[in-house]
Amino acid sequence: MISATKKWIFLKLSAVILLPLMIWFLFNLVSFYDKSYQDVILFFTSQPSKLLFSLFIIFAYFYSALSISEVFEDYIEGEKLKNVANKTLFLFAIIIPILTILILYKLSL
Amino acid sequence: MKENNPLSPHIQIYNWHISSLVSICHRITGIINIIIITFICLWVTFLLLGSSNYELVQKFLLTYFGKFIIIGTIWSFSFQILSEIRHLFWDMGLGFELKTANITGLLVIFGSFIATIAIFILGRGLI
Repeated sequence: MISATKKWIFLKLSAVILLPLMIWFLFNLVSFYDKSYQDVILFFTSQPSKLLFSLFIIFAYFYSALSISEVFEDYIEGEKLKNVANKTLFLFAIIIPILTILILYKLSL
Repeated sequence: MKENNPLSPHIQIYNWHISSLVSICHRITGIINIIIITFICLWVTFLLLGSSNYELVQKFLLTYFGKFIIIGTIWSFSFQILSEIRHLFWDMGLGFELKTANITGLLVIFGSFIATIAIFILGRGLI
């Protein structure tokens, strides 16, 4: 299987997983965005919202990194610059969800 | 001679079609969404700073601009959800006919606004 096919399959699988998570998050965002500190903490640290939110950000960054790299493919001409842009993108897509999940677990303690 | 050389067609010379509008918006909302999700991660980080610092975030979200950001987020996510569902149907080989593609494009555009209103009303428990 060529890498482009693998990328396409990962993109589509992550999209299918992400769709219900996005809908779940939107309904919750609308209900808690103006709530007090304690209520917001409770949402992010109690189950199943902690697990679902963790999955949401993991798949959101995974899906976004794959799709934004396609945008880079279309609009960045130089191979070197494209490589730097892709590596930076994938680095952020790994670091931000890991840090956020660590913060969630610290908040739960 | 140089003046007679043909120029590459630029995006601005094409007439707008529903499919091109939805396609461009799909890319733009995709990038906006990941920026929003990054701000949501920052929001979670702000929780570490304690309740007194969190009041700043809460006060901002209660302003008209804060509410606009929340409603804009719902629309941008809704657009991406509906447009991605359209793409998934295309991946199964469905909906490529011009008429169907135009109808589904319109469904994505108008559906995203209807979904925004529905999610806001249902999420706030207004019904």
